[in-house]
Amino acid sequence: MASQEFIIETKDLVKRYGKLIAVNNLSLQVPRGAIYGFVGPNGAGKTTTMRILTTLITPSAGNASVAGYSVTEYPREVRRAIGYMPDFFGVYDDMKVWEYLDFFAACYEIPERKRPALITDLLALVDLTHRRDDMVEKLSRGMKQRLSLARTLAHDPEVLILDEPASGLDPRARIEIRELLVELASMGKTIFFSSHILADVAEICTHLGIIESGQLVAQGTVGEIRRQLLPTREITITLLDRVDEAKEVIAAIEGVQSVNDLAEEHGRKRIRVDFAGDDTGVSAMLKALSSREIPVVNFSEETRDLEAVFMRATKGIVS
Amino acid sequence: MTADSSSLPVTRKRVTQHLFDNPVVLKELRGRMRGARAFTVLTVYLLMLGAFTSLIYVAVAESSVSTSGQVNIGEIGRTLFGGIVAVEMLLVSFIAPAFTAGAISGEREHQTYDLLRTTLLPAYSLVLGKLLSSMLYVLLLLLAAIPLQSIAFFFGGVAETEVILAFVILAFTAMLFSTIGLYFSARTSRTLSASVMTYSAAIFFTFGVPLLLGTVILIAGPSLDFGSSTAQIILLYTIGAILCINPAATALFTQYVLLNYQTIGTFPYTLSSGQTITLISPWIPFVIIYSVLTLMFFVLSVRRVNRVEV
Repeated sequence: MASQEFIIETKDLVKRYGKLIAVNNLSLQVPRGAIYGFVGPNGAGKTTTMRILTTLITPSAGNASVAGYSVTEYPREVRRAIGYMPDFFGVYDDMKVWEYLDFFAACYEIPERKRPALITDLLALVDLTHRRDDMVEKLSRGMKQRLSLARTLAHDPEVLILDEPASGLDPRARIEIRELLVELASMGKTIFFSSHILADVAEICTHLGIIESGQLVAQGTVGEIRRQLLPTREITITLLDRVDEAKEVIAAIEGVQSVNDLAEEHGRKRIRVDFAGDDTGVSAMLKALSSREIPVVNFSEETRDLEAVFMRATKGIVS
Repeated sequence: MTADSSSLPVTRKRVTQHLFDNPVVLKELRGRMRGARAFTVLTVYLLMLGAFTSLIYVAVAESSVSTSGQVNIGEIGRTLFGGIVAVEMLLVSFIAPAFTAGAISGEREHQTYDLLRTTLLPAYSLVLGKLLSSMLYVLLLLLAAIPLQSIAFFFGGVAETEVILAFVILAFTAMLFSTIGLYFSARTSRTLSASVMTYSAAIFFTFGVPLLLGTVILIAGPSLDFGSSTAQIILLYTIGAILCINPAATALFTQYVLLNYQTIGTFPYTLSSGQTITLISPWIPFVIIYSVLTLMFFVLSVRRVNRVEV
């Protein structure tokens, strides 16, 4: 059971609420050990998918399995395998930080004698050791989020399912959470998390799934998605003169798809090249320009970030 | 014999283990007993009960001086005891559900319900934990009042049996009303609506049943044919059964039976026709009815919590 390639797998998953289709034929695969960013605009069906995976709701059609167990047939095994953090803090009044962890550890059937050491470890991991005896509601938002993350780890699950772990946090807290996720991944956990902010996801994840209106628009490793959605590279060349000649030379190179003029900047002429080739092609382009002594001031490849991928992949439709 | 005596501690350990292994019980009690609040509630409760007891004493001590100048001490004792039990009954009927009406809807409102549902905690443990923690607190209030109840012993007129029976009736009332609170709490997403429904049910059991019975007897009474003794027997049993739904009526009639027939079990009753039938002291059917209802609401609550949202 432990060796299957995909730790989370859904097949043609559908969730209907009356006429509204929240999740529409979603088939996603999260490889073991991945940091999988599940990205989509608000209302795209991310939370619904996660609630199905965490056994909180049942799908209208299709299958979903976590760690090899079907979420509808073996909910208890699924619960044992996952640590779930919803997009809100579930916090009790009248509870100290260590009691909060102790309570959830107990709910995960961790024997009482093992809990004190576990709580110490968990608090150290999320850097809350100094707040052990404080009341939970007194913690800052970022700390509560870290405490929630510690809670999801209480039973040492294989997969963490985190719904918008960074939403509503200040930049520092956001970075802290991000670092924690990377650390957890290095401990061998598979992390499946959602976000509507692609920048959060881009830096740390190995895999991406882009969802819109309940449908998976794209899925794969970050590199695959980039290639899939942005087949061309974009090169901007700044010239002093001889623009037309330069355009001719470049257009002759294999893999160049289009050459366009850009607006002048401080009297310099600029052109943009859409290029589908590899690095040798880019180098050939530069060589061709310089061998003809065309006065190049600047030659740079625009790094199209994932935000552009996202904007291209999604049309802003929210069901 | 040796097998029996060695197995006893094991069972006892298992029961206490279940109680304190239940994470919900531990969590609820930690929260509830923390700080000054629990202490304050208990103090205010005892002060009020004490003030009420003094009031009864002053009132009864004046009136129980008979014409011959003799003081009927036993009557003072009985009145004190009855008064305290009555206050406790009101308290149990309306405090016990208050603890549980928010038990599960409160988890929803704190947004912790989903968290609990994704843990390995079984639904029955959650419901049982909420019920036990609420019952334990009610038990604390009842036990704290025992010294006050015991003042009645100074005056006499009250038997231990009465104290124990009063406690049993109070405890079963608390249990059913707590479970009803839990049920509505599991059914609705808001504590407010759960509280309203729970109190409606509590009011129905405490005031509604006697009121309904009274009305029915008043309206239907004259047209009822008491001529046949069979009709009379059926009527007697029906009214008795309905009375056993009401804790106050059960307590009053149980005491009546105890004083007049000197029994807490069955007793013969002679009808006007001369026929003798067997009646049961009301606390027995009461305990049975309340146990069954408690179990029913408990199972319904567990099923509600266990239900996966479709």
